[in-house]
Amino acid sequence: MRPGETVGTLVVDPVPLAAMKTMAALLDDPTPIHYDAAAVRAAGLGQEPINQGTTNVGYLVELACRVGGGPHSLRSIDVRLNGSVFAGDRLRCTAEVLKIDAEAGLVELELTGKVGTRAVLGGRATVAMR
Amino acid sequence: MEDFAHLVGHRFPGAVVSVPEHFTWLWSDAVGSRPRAGSAHPSIAYPLGLRGTGLRIDEILAIVGAGREDGVLLGECGFELHRPLRPEVAYEGSGGIVAVERKRGARAGTFDLVRFEVHLREESGEEAVRCSYTWVVPRGGGDDAAG
Repeated sequence: MRPGETVGTLVVDPVPLAAMKTMAALLDDPTPIHYDAAAVRAAGLGQEPINQGTTNVGYLVELACRVGGGPHSLRSIDVRLNGSVFAGDRLRCTAEVLKIDAEAGLVELELTGKVGTRAVLGGRATVAMR
Repeated sequence: MEDFAHLVGHRFPGAVVSVPEHFTWLWSDAVGSRPRAGSAHPSIAYPLGLRGTGLRIDEILAIVGAGREDGVLLGECGFELHRPLRPEVAYEGSGGIVAVERKRGARAGTFDLVRFEVHLREESGEEAVRCSYTWVVPRGGGDDAAG
């Protein structure tokens, strides 16, 4: 593992509508753009339901945890939500090493999420090394 | 246009929150993770932190001078984890608004970046996680919402 190296990839293909419905129920979120395609079209926001930002954050959290070896490895994470992810999209998330603190046993990661060439997620995370 | 900088320092009432085991299972599944008995996916800090404000979303929106119809978006979100989060554990939430930054975009018009933080502590007083949320709050003058 060294700075600049891509150390993890998480591909969600296709982004599942069923999970959006689950998340809408868990969050008690009545916003129909997350489960009803007709509402998305009526609002002029696209053709398919829009993934909850929360779920997109969860994908990057999951990626960082996999790089660190499990959920207990994650020390911190900050995520920027730059664009919408729609049901059926192919979302590709990657983790690249930014910095290694061998003394503290920590690795800082640069996280990105893209749908095609469109950058929809960005962030940084710190995980404990395995 | 009203200035909302005075919101910095506003404290939320706080609340004791927890999530049941089945909630953590469904949450893990929804974010593409493998559910683990007795353990919660770290991203579950998101709803725990929001509930830890002691307020409903609509009530937080009202504090920042907005409503559901105003197109408020989550712009950024972060967690600083000190202890693993677990189902069925009570966490005491406390926090408030820590920053308000006014911005202007060509398409978005004027908007505020409102950042609030929530600390979740276990019964022992040990902090489990610090959650931060930055909401993009449109203030008008644009074609659509920011973000």
